[in-house]
Amino acid sequence: MAEKEPIDRNLASAEAQSDAAFAARVLTGLPDVPVPGVLEARILADFDAVAAKRKASLRALVLHPVQSLRDAVWPGAPAWQPASILALSLLIGLAAGTLVPSSALTSVSSVQDETAAVDTVPDLNLSGDF
Amino acid sequence: MKIDPDADLVARAGKGDRAAAQALMARHLPKMLTLARRMLHNPAEAEDAVQEAFLKLWTHAARWRPGRAKFETWLYRVTLNQCYDRLRRKPTLELEAAAHVADPARGPLAALENAGLAAEVEAALAELPARQRAAILLCHYEGRTNIEAAEILGLSVEACESLLARGRRTLRIKLAHLKDG
Repeated sequence: MAEKEPIDRNLASAEAQSDAAFAARVLTGLPDVPVPGVLEARILADFDAVAAKRKASLRALVLHPVQSLRDAVWPGAPAWQPASILALSLLIGLAAGTLVPSSALTSVSSVQDETAAVDTVPDLNLSGDF
Repeated sequence: MKIDPDADLVARAGKGDRAAAQALMARHLPKMLTLARRMLHNPAEAEDAVQEAFLKLWTHAARWRPGRAKFETWLYRVTLNQCYDRLRRKPTLELEAAAHVADPARGPLAALENAGLAAEVEAALAELPARQRAAILLCHYEGRTNIEAAEILGLSVEACESLLARGRRTLRIKLAHLKDG
């Protein structure tokens, strides 16, 4: 009985090997399936559609914040209007920054009149006529 | 770590490079179509399954991370899943394929060399359960190792070997009349 088990196992293994050899023999003879040109065209059309969709969603990702800002600032106006106003303001700011001399902005008059210190006793002349 | 030969092409296709997509197609479409045809035994269904698999590739290409799985293994798995879905949705596909089984008594052994043999083998394949068929095709037709086939089928190597053994046995019984050729 104990000897029969390895013999059975060997037989099963030999049978499995024989099955594998048979499968290899019959399946290697199978011809390849030719690829129809129409299928290639369909798959490439899918690729183009996916690429176009991805490009459009990227554009939307960039444009959406700009559009929502435009609607918040100037609802319903075409995009060029707030954009040109913004550009004009920037230009004015830049021109002012570069053309106006800095000394004119920072200079302080050397004459200071009508100053009074609050921590000293005021100099009041009470003897005079009112 | 092995470098995936498709990684660069997949990355480029993900960025919208049409030439890379064409190169991927030229490299994998014939094998995927053959596998789908042998799985489904219906040219139109096989073409649809492969087209769906490639559509999944195009939509996932931009997010593909090389190193996680071999691209080809992933594509085989997607194609096979498309085939399983179709077999589940249309059980008649199995019946249609089985209807083409040749009469074992008719063919002399000389037929081994001609197209009739291919038809008989394909018909016998069509009668196998889908997973056994997939395992047999991957190992004996596509030339995958048991380990690769197990990975594609999402099984342990032992389970894949068991599928293979049962599939080969059934195939041999069905094609017994060709045995001595």
